[in-house]
Amino acid sequence: MWGKGLIEGMRVTWKHFWGKKETVYYPEEKLPMTERFRGGHLVLDEKKCIGCKLCAMGCPNAAIEVTVEVDENKKRHPVKYVHDLGRCLYCDLCIEACPSKCISWDKNYEAASYFKEDMKYDAVAECRGREKQ
Amino acid sequence: MAQTEHYILNMGPQHPSTHGVLRVKVELDGERIVHCTPVMGYLHRGIEKLMESRTYTQCVPFTDRLDYVSSMNNNWAFCGAVEKLAGIEVPERAEYIRVICAELNRIASHQVFIGSLLIDLGAATGMIYAFRDREKVLDLFNIICGARMTCHYIRIGGVIKDAQDEFLKETQKFVDYVPQMLQEYDNLFTGNEIFMERLKGTSIITKEDALRFNMSGPNIRASGHEYDIRKIDSYGVYDRFDFQVPTGTKGDNWDRYRIRFEEIRESARIIQQALDSIPAGPYMAKVPKVLKPAKGDVYHRVENTRGELGFYIVSDGTTKPYRVHIHRPSFINLQALDTMCKGLLLADAVAAYATVDPLMGEVDC
Repeated sequence: MWGKGLIEGMRVTWKHFWGKKETVYYPEEKLPMTERFRGGHLVLDEKKCIGCKLCAMGCPNAAIEVTVEVDENKKRHPVKYVHDLGRCLYCDLCIEACPSKCISWDKNYEAASYFKEDMKYDAVAECRGREKQ
Repeated sequence: MAQTEHYILNMGPQHPSTHGVLRVKVELDGERIVHCTPVMGYLHRGIEKLMESRTYTQCVPFTDRLDYVSSMNNNWAFCGAVEKLAGIEVPERAEYIRVICAELNRIASHQVFIGSLLIDLGAATGMIYAFRDREKVLDLFNIICGARMTCHYIRIGGVIKDAQDEFLKETQKFVDYVPQMLQEYDNLFTGNEIFMERLKGTSIITKEDALRFNMSGPNIRASGHEYDIRKIDSYGVYDRFDFQVPTGTKGDNWDRYRIRFEEIRESARIIQQALDSIPAGPYMAKVPKVLKPAKGDVYHRVENTRGELGFYIVSDGTTKPYRVHIHRPSFINLQALDTMCKGLLLADAVAAYATVDPLMGEVDC
């Protein structure tokens, strides 16, 4: 009978009309991110960083720029750690390359910005800001 | 005497019913299509060239951006080629995890196909159902690798992180849900008479034509040619699983839709078998930090969701590939568009675009 399939389809949508909602009210309600989630800013632990620049070398898109200074004990420290979100592929290769495990993701997925310049940030400055708090 | 001329209409690159940035120049006689030419290049990023200046490890994330709805399969194709080139043996557990991820990705990709086909035919409700269930697969990827679309999970020598118990448990839950999901789709739109009439008997591509165009994947199988790389040139551990290769008979839009539908069922069967027999052990082979494959070239192909995806890599013995060429199924399948659309009404051409299922990231590369 022509139209039987249409009625069957309507039955499915009718059932869901009264069923549980699949969506959440974003931005009031947010879904939790998983443990392995890759995204957001890089959280740098300044004290742990040995300034080897392996993260910058491992990056396939040259999204990381590290400036290093050598102190009186001949130890290397990062002075500036500029991460360009606009170039970042979120591939995790920087974190995997790090021998001292001093970088991780902050898991904030809201990376959109009005201006291109806002896509760049200094992870060292962010680290110092966190320590002050 | 009045004379009529053929009318040229540009569909795309920002037409809502063309997939991505596909532009099709359509020559019309009234409302019938005389000739249609796909125009490409709007999403060209030069990935093949970019790979020449990156190390083998750094090339892998770029493969995610080819066919961005089935990135796991792309990763696998590239990594498989490099493994062949460098003679790396992949651990058993990694092979099983790869199969699970690739098949989950096939399901997700076919759901995008179903969703976009429905929305192109004007059934926006149906699209929401397909995308709702695709979310479930993307959430699984989020658990295992931390990304939903550009996974970058399969690496040279295995997989980067082990599959957690949580992932395996959630995957089992999803596989159990698949029959119920397909039944719901059947009730909602497969049995729908309008849907059937739009798809049945339109834009037929015969087996001979499909072979002539060198098509692959579900598009050639819909024409009745059993061509599946997983069967004819088995890679990974696919030879250990029992699965069917669904084929069509006529090669019309309906067959191309049904093939994908049945493939979801078969993929779920493969995942179930892999989950039942996944061994314990290492998930990554011992790969040198600085990978320098010997001089030579290699071609490795996998059954991507859209067909045969192959990587041809030439190595000059350094850390970077000398040349990479990508055999992209979408690009080749798209060549049949003119043959498929000739004589059709313009509204049916939209259905033909949707069932060829081209992905512009892969077409333009």
